[in-house]
Amino acid sequence: MPNTKKTLPGHATEQNRFETSKLTLLVDRFMTVFIKFGGALVITSVLGIFVFIVLQIWPLFAPPSVTPLKSIPLPDTKYALLGVDEWGAKPFLVEPDGSLLVVDYETGETQDQSLNLGITGQVTAAFLNKREQKIILGTSNGQFVFVSPNHTSRESGGRQIIDVNPTAETPSSIGDPGMPITDIAYGDSGSSKLIVALQSDGETNRVTASLFKRKRSLMGKNKEEAAGTHDLTPMIPGRPEKILVPVTGDSVVVISESGKVSYLVLADGKFELRQSFTPFGDLANSHINVANFIFGDVSIAFASDSGENRIFSLFYPEGGKERLFGITHEFPNLGASPVLLVSTLRNKAFLLGGGKELSLRYSTTESIRWQSRVPYPVSNAVISGKYQRLAVLDSSNTLHFFQIDDPHPDSGWKALFGKVWYEGAPGPKWDWQSTGGSDDFEPKYSLVPLIFGTLKGTLYAMLFAVPIALLAALYTSQFLDPRFRSTVKPTMEIMASLPSVVLGFLAAIYIAPLIERQVPSLLLVVVGVPIVAAFSGFFWSHLPIQIRKFIRPGWEWIVFLPLLFISAGILWYLGPAFESVAFVVTDPATGQKTADFRAWWPAVTGASYDQRNSLVVGFMMGFAVIPIIFTITEDALSNVPKPLITASMACGASRWQTALRVVMPTASAGIFSALMIGLGRAVGETMIVVMATGNTPIMEWNIFSGMRTLSANIAVELPEAPHHATLYRTLFLGALVLFLLTFAINTVAEVLRQHLREKFKTT
Amino acid sequence: MPPVLSKPTEQPMETTVNTTAEGRPDFISIRDFSFFYGKKQALFDISLDIPERQVTAFIGPSGCGKSTLLRNLNRMNDLIDGIRHSGDIVVNGRSIYDPHIEVISLRKRVGMVFQKSNPFPKSIYENVVYPLRVSGQNKKSVLDETVERSLQGAALWDEVKDRLHESGLSLSGGQMQRLCIARAIANRPEILLMDEPCSALDPIATVKVEELIRELKQEFTIVIVTHNMQQATRCSDRTAFFYLGKLVEFDETPKIFSNPAQKQTEDYITGRFG
Repeated sequence: MPNTKKTLPGHATEQNRFETSKLTLLVDRFMTVFIKFGGALVITSVLGIFVFIVLQIWPLFAPPSVTPLKSIPLPDTKYALLGVDEWGAKPFLVEPDGSLLVVDYETGETQDQSLNLGITGQVTAAFLNKREQKIILGTSNGQFVFVSPNHTSRESGGRQIIDVNPTAETPSSIGDPGMPITDIAYGDSGSSKLIVALQSDGETNRVTASLFKRKRSLMGKNKEEAAGTHDLTPMIPGRPEKILVPVTGDSVVVISESGKVSYLVLADGKFELRQSFTPFGDLANSHINVANFIFGDVSIAFASDSGENRIFSLFYPEGGKERLFGITHEFPNLGASPVLLVSTLRNKAFLLGGGKELSLRYSTTESIRWQSRVPYPVSNAVISGKYQRLAVLDSSNTLHFFQIDDPHPDSGWKALFGKVWYEGAPGPKWDWQSTGGSDDFEPKYSLVPLIFGTLKGTLYAMLFAVPIALLAALYTSQFLDPRFRSTVKPTMEIMASLPSVVLGFLAAIYIAPLIERQVPSLLLVVVGVPIVAAFSGFFWSHLPIQIRKFIRPGWEWIVFLPLLFISAGILWYLGPAFESVAFVVTDPATGQKTADFRAWWPAVTGASYDQRNSLVVGFMMGFAVIPIIFTITEDALSNVPKPLITASMACGASRWQTALRVVMPTASAGIFSALMIGLGRAVGETMIVVMATGNTPIMEWNIFSGMRTLSANIAVELPEAPHHATLYRTLFLGALVLFLLTFAINTVAEVLRQHLREKFKTT
Repeated sequence: MPPVLSKPTEQPMETTVNTTAEGRPDFISIRDFSFFYGKKQALFDISLDIPERQVTAFIGPSGCGKSTLLRNLNRMNDLIDGIRHSGDIVVNGRSIYDPHIEVISLRKRVGMVFQKSNPFPKSIYENVVYPLRVSGQNKKSVLDETVERSLQGAALWDEVKDRLHESGLSLSGGQMQRLCIARAIANRPEILLMDEPCSALDPIATVKVEELIRELKQEFTIVIVTHNMQQATRCSDRTAFFYLGKLVEFDETPKIFSNPAQKQTEDYITGRFG
């Protein structure tokens, strides 16, 4: 070619060599937009996750909604009982002649289902056994009869149809023949049945209990036979007014006109008065207007004439051998004189009503779920089995329906974070127990033991990891010969990449049993090795320089490492001997002396000893945290400008003085970050904790007991959590708390780090 | 890791009280000193005597070994891996390589100022008293007295006396270098080594430091490495010229600059190379 002008690649001619190529500009613009878009996407998805979690949690704290549905007027008479099926579709009322008035919610029609009961006289008392869905009626001439409403559900054309086919058993007599029954109740334990009737002829009030034993024959047919009748009247202080019998039929609670409550227990076929108390003894008028068992029949809700409302529960008082009633919860005054107190069949909620006030309350958490003034005076109410529909009968016999939308009545701030007095417990406490053995078990969802467990696990892990990681990093960066440093650091980084499930597995299968047998050895090593190290360091520095000069600075470990290993080995094998001297415990039963740390620790401290304990977790989680803290700290220390170190050396400072007075403060921001990242790892660590602790949600700092952390709790409970149930949402809340915990740690850390960096900046 | 505890000099040096104004002529005596960084030899058979309470300047082109020699005087090169030496350096009658001497106590007797000012990220006060603190001196009266004396010695007192507890890094470049000088003289060393102390300073700051050097020689034996020939003439009494790791010429400063014995020296100081 004649024109041999050189052209650069991408440039057509020499003239436009200063122009930027179109492709460069295009790529630049594209990347700008792409990175912006990507960044926005990341922020959006993180926010999206956050919003999702908050949405999952919100219902736990949301107030319930109770909305009026419709009202159905009923024939005017005095109804003895108001009951309802599980779905709230067909409530029924017991008429004075003992027939059932079934109300169809859908159509608004009422249907009188007459039963040929064969009773003489009017129905004066009625009781619905919630577990059996069976009614017992008491009459004005001392008879009683069992009636089953028999609700059945079937599908028809895609709709659920509820049928009511009531049946009745043969009536019998109880107590004084012909004496009107004013209150009746029964309980059935399966093998025996207890029927208690309160009779009154206007002058005397009598309480009679009839006991029936049920025998199972080979034919599979149950045979009931009378097993004695007891006149309880003499045992009761005061004039009885109302009786309560728990579904189990093993006791009777009698309320007297003066407001005195007598708790009679059936033991070996005989009744004994176990306790007598006055719930409103401190008020001028101690009369109890209404009272009822809360679901589970362990607690009774009482309401006084003036609207005061208290819950008494059965529990073993401190040092007591018998379960007695004691006040566990107290609610605000209703603001009207209560006439109805109905409990649910699903949870510890109950409806208290009086005058025109209705109040839906939750006994365990002492929260008023809903309270409203209705435009009519109320007289009776019932809540459907699914806790979804409420039917309220007003004084003019109109049945008003309400929709209850309260999926998490057992939740809320108090239940999740406050001390709660659960049934059966001797006092309020923080408790986590999500599942139990029976239907009436009440789940306990306090996050406090889990937060505590998280902090405990973190504390023990950091206690173990921080000194080792910091000193190791300091030694590696400041004292060790650089050629070893380049080996040590990658080794530690490989340790960081060990999956925590492997560490947890190792901890559970190998370390926990090993430590269990060798606690004294471990104690000796943990205390002894640092002492040996300190002493040998002291001794070394006092050696004449003629001896010391044989070991170059940075190579001292050649002398010390074997020394430390040998001393650790000796101390480990001295463990059993140490145990036989220091940890001797005398068996109080036999007087025999045994040297066993596992027995000594509970005997001396009163705290428990578990195989999978915080020591194991601290040790193993330390292994997960040490490499992280080590690497970042080592980087921070090694990044301290060399001129500062030489300046310190030139001032006549030793290596240790330089490390302590110049290197550490200068690197403090980095060291702090390392600690915080390690802390964040320990807080969020799951697999090690799941496997190496007993996952016991207890609240004690005892190093030889386990814990349950928030993260482990999510891992353990999630397979058991029904979708959108309280547990499910509580687990999300646990996740949020965990997130907030790490967020708080990181924020505080960042603020402090910036402060340190400002203070010790080197340029 | 055993902490190397700092202790006061175990064996006090025999203090040769020299009453003459000139001081000892061979206060630092370098004898046949060779130095190696690994396989690379940096210094070749250097022998020279540095007199007491005078300023001795080391000049020479980059890489000639003048800084290496300076850093050997307080064994700062010990921090570098793979070094070795032959020959000996004797300070005040005693070898600095004497196995009985702790390198820490040597460094306490030999203060050093570096090319780039390197104050600690601490307050001005703490910067100055650092050498005392590492020697275990924590008495407030002594420290206060030292701060005032050293900062006055470094001609910085008037500028910083009202803000002694501010960070040493808040000072200007020249002030920081004078702070480093104050730190270097705080523990009253016998020798002050200065490794191109003014190369990062502006002319005004340089003038101040040079004035300071002339004052400090009343008390200290000063060895200064400089690239700046004018500086060597202005503030040194004696000058050593190094070239390729060898000592080319060592004499009174006026003689070196006006009438050098060696051609190489003349070429260098007249700017023909370097």
